[in-house]
Amino acid sequence: MKMKKLLALGLAGVMALSLAACGVPGEEDETQAAGTEAAGSEAAGGETTGGETADGEKVFRYSVKTEPTTLDSAKMNSIGDSELQQIMGEGLLTNNAGEISPGLAETWEISEDGLTYTFHLRDAQWPDGQPVTANDFVYAARRLADPETASPGAWIVSGVLKNGAEVIAGTVPVEELGISAPDEKTVVFELDHPQGYFLSYVGLSGAFFPQRQDIVEQYGQEYAGSAEKLMTCGAFTLTSSADRAYIFEKNPTYWDAENIKLDRIEVYVVENGDTALSMYENGELDYVQIPNASVPNYTDASNHGSYVNGNLDWVYINNEAEYVSNQNFRLALAYAINRENYNILVNNGVYQAWGNIVLPMCDGPEAGTTYGDTVQPEGYPIQGDEAKAKEYLNAALTELGISDPSEITIHFNAWDDETTKRVAEVCQEMWQNVLGINVQIDMVTYGQVYTTIYPNKDYQVGYGGWGPDYADPYTYLYLFHSENVNNYSNYKNADYDALIDASNAETDPAARMDLLAQAEAMLIEQGVNIPLQMRDVHYLLDEDVTGVQFYYVGYNMCPVYADCAPTA
Amino acid sequence: MENLTKDLFTVVGKNVEKMDSISRPNLSFWKDAWRRLKKNRAAFVGLCILIVFALLAIFAPMFSQYTYTSMDTSAVNAAPSADHWLGADSAGRDLWVRIWMGARVSLSIGVIAAIINACVGAVMGGLCGYYGGKLDMIMMRIVEILYGIPNLIVVILVMLVLGRGMTTMIVALCITGWIGTCRFVRGEVYRLKEQDYVLAAKVLGVSDFTIVVRHIIPNIMGMIVTNLCMAIPGAIFQEAFLSYIGLGIQPPMCSWGILAKEGIANLRVAPHQVLIPAFFICVTMLALNLLGDGLRDAVDPKLRGTE
Amino acid sequence: MAKYILKRALAAIVTLFVLITVVFFLVRLIPGDPFNDPKLTDTVRENLYEYYGFDKPLVVQYGMYMNNLLHGDLGPSTRYMNRTVNDMIFESFPYSADLGIRALVFAVSFGLVLGILAALNRGKKLDVVCVLVAIVGTSIPDFIMGAILQYFFGVKWGLLPVAQYKGIEYTILPAAALGFYTLASVSKLMRSSMLEVVSQDYIKTAKAKGLSQGRITFRHQIRNAIMPVITVLGPTVASVLTGTFVVESIFAIPGMGKYYVDSVNNNDYSMILGMTIFYGAFLILCNLIVDVAYGLVDPRVRIGKK
Repeated sequence: MKMKKLLALGLAGVMALSLAACGVPGEEDETQAAGTEAAGSEAAGGETTGGETADGEKVFRYSVKTEPTTLDSAKMNSIGDSELQQIMGEGLLTNNAGEISPGLAETWEISEDGLTYTFHLRDAQWPDGQPVTANDFVYAARRLADPETASPGAWIVSGVLKNGAEVIAGTVPVEELGISAPDEKTVVFELDHPQGYFLSYVGLSGAFFPQRQDIVEQYGQEYAGSAEKLMTCGAFTLTSSADRAYIFEKNPTYWDAENIKLDRIEVYVVENGDTALSMYENGELDYVQIPNASVPNYTDASNHGSYVNGNLDWVYINNEAEYVSNQNFRLALAYAINRENYNILVNNGVYQAWGNIVLPMCDGPEAGTTYGDTVQPEGYPIQGDEAKAKEYLNAALTELGISDPSEITIHFNAWDDETTKRVAEVCQEMWQNVLGINVQIDMVTYGQVYTTIYPNKDYQVGYGGWGPDYADPYTYLYLFHSENVNNYSNYKNADYDALIDASNAETDPAARMDLLAQAEAMLIEQGVNIPLQMRDVHYLLDEDVTGVQFYYVGYNMCPVYADCAPTA
Repeated sequence: MENLTKDLFTVVGKNVEKMDSISRPNLSFWKDAWRRLKKNRAAFVGLCILIVFALLAIFAPMFSQYTYTSMDTSAVNAAPSADHWLGADSAGRDLWVRIWMGARVSLSIGVIAAIINACVGAVMGGLCGYYGGKLDMIMMRIVEILYGIPNLIVVILVMLVLGRGMTTMIVALCITGWIGTCRFVRGEVYRLKEQDYVLAAKVLGVSDFTIVVRHIIPNIMGMIVTNLCMAIPGAIFQEAFLSYIGLGIQPPMCSWGILAKEGIANLRVAPHQVLIPAFFICVTMLALNLLGDGLRDAVDPKLRGTE
Repeated sequence: MAKYILKRALAAIVTLFVLITVVFFLVRLIPGDPFNDPKLTDTVRENLYEYYGFDKPLVVQYGMYMNNLLHGDLGPSTRYMNRTVNDMIFESFPYSADLGIRALVFAVSFGLVLGILAALNRGKKLDVVCVLVAIVGTSIPDFIMGAILQYFFGVKWGLLPVAQYKGIEYTILPAAALGFYTLASVSKLMRSSMLEVVSQDYIKTAKAKGLSQGRITFRHQIRNAIMPVITVLGPTVASVLTGTFVVESIFAIPGMGKYYVDSVNNNDYSMILGMTIFYGAFLILCNLIVDVAYGLVDPRVRIGKK
């Protein structure tokens, strides 16, 4: 018995030692990071209700799922990266959920032919007091396109700005890129072809945010490697990017600072959706996305909301592969999917089943209208149509010279991700049940999907999707143009190309929209791919928070103009 | 006492034949082990549980009205009921069937991988530990290199060559799985080879191989068996971890790891989806532990012949 | 002993070199490449190859990498642009190490005590309890353990913080989730090892000499029984200290574990290599310590003399 006591004593000592001896690495960093007394007390205490610590401070805290890959506006290439740019940077215009308003440019003109855009800058300054000049914009855009920079986001200017594609390919010097600064206060863009959506593009894309040449050159390759190696001139300034947390403080030198209500924005990287939800419930976050599985628990709550994030998911079809090169067979696949059931089985009924190729929220022919409300053609039936699917299948079987559908085996390309796997399983089940064909799921790693498999058209059918770059149907429809390198469907149709090209030349918005609608109708008629869903993001937002913007292009959630109750 | 007189006793005399005979039946090592195992009631219960699980894994999916892939929108996240004995998952698939389909995969992977690992590990560890010196030095460095290669790369490359499936998973788990046993057997052998009975065997001229196999391995058999019983869930976990990060077996096949992983997403909504696979993993572990303990005692040469 | 350690240190460097070389070429066999965004175009991808030097022959790349490595430079990450692998490891390792140490101390101390108590009370109630703990600990995968601990202690009962790493109370749940498996396996191993030792002659001798039970247990039994545990602990220490993906992701801890999976998924070659080198060096060191400890703990073992 004595020995047991000894053991217990030793154990207690060891535990005490292990808890007390080593400080937690975060504690110190946190204090430095936020640079305020408030953050220090939060780190040490932990029992305060989160970020709203100091008297009267307005702090907005939320989490993101994926760690941002870069803080460099000329290198970013994802919605996640772009969201941070929206907080700390600003372009010539601002795009507040579709509404274009002046940003660093006060006024602008568009030439008659729709090819030249001239922006006149306002008097704005960088945090160190230097004025924001037209050269900062030109430098940033050229840096983005320069092959030497090797920006993954460089494709943005390709086919948008004059010489964009050529500059990226290195065949034309960067100075020839369609952007110039005739004087300190004027930025002129020359476009590749008329683009009605160019203003919304300029407002959203971090690619057109200004950058300081001296700062970029000072840090070279490690520019924007951390908060200290970066300078931006937006509403907030990034003060810390350590430990997978991004702390933004209000920028007092911002030209519109009086309209910025928040004092601080804290963004945490929390990969696990349930963890983020738990943190929200414990009052450690002010905004959180709800994992699909838990959404039904919250749909009645007053702090619950949802928005469409713009991503359309579909089954890519390699239009030249075995069996699926047959149009009737493709249509059989498309009609055999009951999208309503699909949505329940894959997404817990949380997303919206969708049978079209273009997002209906895209801008319509006139300002204030949407594509979906006006000209969008009818898509595949949401509930599918088994009878029609079988009709198409029988037609296809005759054409292919096959008597029994079970002789056909389709390979479904999916990768290592829970949702993707489930999509494949559900499609497999539906096709096997309705059509009687065999479906084999080919699992690959994500690294292969868009680097080799889809670009090389080395697949039969597979999961995929597209997020919009601007609020125009063209962003989806250009995907199926035979000259587009992202045309993973391997769809080559001269008539379709002609429609798309005609829409580019058309300057009348209504006529242009008609052409685009015809193009979409053609895709649906020919079963070029199989649309499945558009994503509804369900979220919880503290009730005292107002002014958070949700949008489906460029960013999903933007807290820049948000306001919340200060802590008492 | 006083009634005891000499004429009560008779001399039996020497029985030369019986003097040389062995009173107990001559038992081989394994026969003896089996005999002792049968006497251990707890171990027997463990064995029975495992057998029942194996039988259910084989037969339960055959006799259900559902298949492991059939989905039903009306049964999404259904709780256990008369229709679905163990409830249904988030695609309305019957969990009773999926559990036993998963058992096929998980138990096979666990048992096969663990046995291969234990055998390879014991032999390698035995060699390294017994010979020591240069062989040991080089082997241990190779082991370190193998161990240092990120597991995920190994798994991905094996999948690239063999495709997805159970064999792939077993191969992937075996490439580095034996190292644990190897290191640990090596350590034990280092300790044991200095023991007197090994020295005695050496002096008698017994070959190295025989010494390792007949004298050293049986003495660490208990530890190997314990290790083996831990290695089976270890392999099941490894598979579960790989499923967790998406490198599981070929869908729509499932395993306990995949079921647990799918279930954990629904912890707040339908906790049975994670608790049921966890329960079966636990019970399997319990059975393996009971069996393992029994086996350890059964194969322990020091306990041989004791009742 | 000094000579032995020196020899081992030299061998360690060679081992590390071979490991780096093997992994350098193995990672290139992983299908796909680092630039896996659906929207990238061919020209953009070519620019990226050139920027990171992937357009050069593999052997040249290897030479360049080794040269940089000798200067202590692990190269830039291809996934997290503008950041170097050095920075990322340097930033995340303290979290993993801190969590790992806590988990190990918790696991080893409790595991040993449980194992010893179970062995000393074989067949009694205490033994059953210890065995049950071991079974539960080794039969619940860490992603279930972590999520359940978090849900009950953090959300339902609100006793401890849910996630992140800002103070001592934040470390309890992740350390428990991380350490529980090790705890269970240590206790199991210690128990059977103790039982093994009990029947040894030197224990009988000690008893016959009239030593007290406590003295026998501490001086003879535990010291001998702990050896297999040490062997198993070597690699465990290395892997626990350098971070674990599952626990760190559940508890949102900014440690290294994430990068193991992340870098492989994104073909981030320099990151994979950086992690491999870091982990490999750690592993080799731990094994070295274990082997030396062997000689110290067990007087009968004389490694290196043959």
